[in-house]
Order: sequence, then structure tokens, then C-alpha cells
Amino acid sequence: MTSVATAGDTFSVFGTTATLLVSEPAAVQVARAVADAELAAVDLACSRFRADSELSRLNAAGGRAVAVTGLFAEILGVALRAARLTGGNVDPTCGAALADIGYDRDFALIRAAGTSAAQQAAEPRRVPGWRSVHLDHARHQVRLGRGAKLDLGATAKAWAADRCAAMIATQTGSGVLVSLGGDIAVAGPPPDAGWRIRVTDDHAASQDAPGQTVTIGSGGLATSSTTVRTWAVGGRRMHHIIDPATGEPARSCWRSVSVAAGSCVDANTASTAAIIRSTAALPWLRDAGLPARLVRGDGSVEVTAGWPGHWPPAGRI
Amino acid sequence: MRRDDVRFAMAARDDGMRKISRFTWRAGAVGVVCSALIAAAFGHSVAADHGQGNGGQQGQGTIIVPAEPPAPAQGAGQVTSGAS
Repeated sequence: MTSVATAGDTFSVFGTTATLLVSEPAAVQVARAVADAELAAVDLACSRFRADSELSRLNAAGGRAVAVTGLFAEILGVALRAARLTGGNVDPTCGAALADIGYDRDFALIRAAGTSAAQQAAEPRRVPGWRSVHLDHARHQVRLGRGAKLDLGATAKAWAADRCAAMIATQTGSGVLVSLGGDIAVAGPPPDAGWRIRVTDDHAASQDAPGQTVTIGSGGLATSSTTVRTWAVGGRRMHHIIDPATGEPARSCWRSVSVAAGSCVDANTASTAAIIRSTAALPWLRDAGLPARLVRGDGSVEVTAGWPGHWPPAGRI
Repeated sequence: MRRDDVRFAMAARDDGMRKISRFTWRAGAVGVVCSALIAAAFGHSVAADHGQGNGGQQGQGTIIVPAEPPAPAQGAGQVTSGAS
């Protein structure tokens, strides 16, 4: 551990806010340069809203095998692993379902366009499922099954946070925290008291917003919520966490779930799956031994597996 | 038994052996083709199972728990974890 004061940087990426903290202030410029390069590469590989991305080319390939870069194959492998570990809750083939409910462009554009009462969501369609994705790691080839369109948003951002944190720590020797839209990865020697994180619904909220402050020294912490990335179609409220079983936004008893895990992508995988699993999430997280904080729609809080007791003690935020 | 009968019986036996041999080879070839088709159909699952993440640090069979659970702290955070 180190007691050196931290320095940081904040910038926009992936349509959200990134925050970079380093325990060695002299490392901040190198850290930013590493993060910029890595995040640009991930965006070019995985953006659903860029026509020149590998993901867009694959989605448009009509089921033909497509050659991909090693980076894309790795990120897709992470998404398929998340699907397998969650019994298909976190499924990368929800791209078409998301487009059907109106999430077909950068979210900033949706937010700017506001609500249109004339818009109607398409009838929910069956999500093809992660087993319809054929990834050949050896040949760096991917083929999608009939009707499958990928969206890697659930895992790619968290994986990118892990990747940036690991690379920055290796290159600078500094402790580092990388937050991409509230998906947080840390690496290297942390500050003496650990990295202080305010856990709340919205990553853009102030650092003393209603919620809870915790510290972590390694791994990752992620929060999934149905209350932030929302929009309305035909008078109906939508959010971006699709339940693959229905092809529609998940109907969950939780408004937000935060999970700490050995990596940010594992934390994000678990928090997203917990939203979709709804009432079944509590025993699932407990069985997995994952520290988590789950907030119901009425604000009442549950914690699991060593997550510190909620505050205030009344159990509501 | 006459010599012609013996010759006929040997020829019939050889013919039968050839048929059995041909059938065995064809059955083997069909088996190989079926095995290849099954491998092609289900090979992606195996490939997917070998997906690497985070420099290969992630366990393939389980979500990895943190080395330490989060610790309680007072006051504001350095960053915020929430949905984006």
C-alpha cells in the first residue's frame, strides 16, 4: 500500500464519463495516454453505433463467417463466458432486441431526441441466444446464427476498465483506479485506506449522493441499474438491461445492484445478472460468495457475503 | 465333393468377403463424416469455453470473488459507482 496523494483525470468515452485516479501523481499523463489508446481500440472493435466497427461489420454479415482481430475475439470470448456463467442472463445477442425498443443509436442522441409519443416499440422478438455465436479463437473468425445481432455493451466496458487498469499499473508502477461510467477496476498498490467509492444509482451523481461509501483495494466494483439509462417509447418506459428470456427490458424488484468481484467484468456480469434474476438474485449471489448491495424500488437495501452493513441503519436510502 | 463345386464354393466365399469388406469400409467412412459434422456443429461451444479475458486472469468456470470484500468508509467517495 502507499500513502501518496492521488491525482486524476476525467474525460468522455463510450458515451459516458471516465475517471482515472493514480496514486503517483507523476504517472497521470502516461496513464491517460495508455487509457486513450486502449479505449480507442475497444471502441473501434465493439461499438454498435459506428459503421466502421468490427461489431457492425459482423452484425451486417448475414450469418457469414467474418475475420476479426484478436482484440475483438478476446472481448467476445469474455461476453460468451459471462453468458455461460450466468446461465444465459447476460447474453451478447440482445443487439436486435435493444434496437427494437429504440436503443438504436448513441444514447446521448436518444436523450437529446426526448420522448416521442408517436413511436411504437416493435413486438418483442426471441433473443437468438449466446450459443448461436460461433467463435473460432484459432482462426479469429466469428459467425452469427440466424437473426443474431451482437451488443457487447454489458461486458466490453467493464473489461476495458480492467484492461486499462492492468496496463497502467504495469507501465507506471502506480496504483490506479479506472472508472468507465461507474464500472470500476483497480490495480497496483492502492492508497493506505484503499480506493474510496460512493455507491449509488447514477454514476454521474455527486460523490456524496444518497448511497453508501466503501473502499476496495483490488479487483473491481460495478453497479447496474434500471433507473438511469431510460427512455420512453409509445408512453412506455424502457431501460437497457434486456432479459433474454423475453426480449424486453428486465422487470426486476431491484432498481440497482452493486457487486464487488475479482475483476470489474466479473462484478458487472454479476450485477447485470442480478437485475435480470430479480428475487432469485439474492440466493444466487450468496451461493457465489459475492459481496453485493441490492436496492429495491422502494429504496430498501439488502447486502450479501461481506458487503458492509448498509447506511443509514433504517435500511432505506 | 467335385472339384467344380469346391471352386464355386471358394468363389462364393471370396465374393462374400469382398462384400463384407466393402460394407465395413463404407460404414467406417460414414462414421468419420458424421464425426466431422458433429464436431463442426458443436465445436463453437468448446471454442467459446476457451475465451480469455483480462490477460487470462479470469477463471473460466466461475465468477471470481474479490480478495477482500469492500470495507465501510465515511464521507464522500473519490469516485462514484452507479449505472451510466
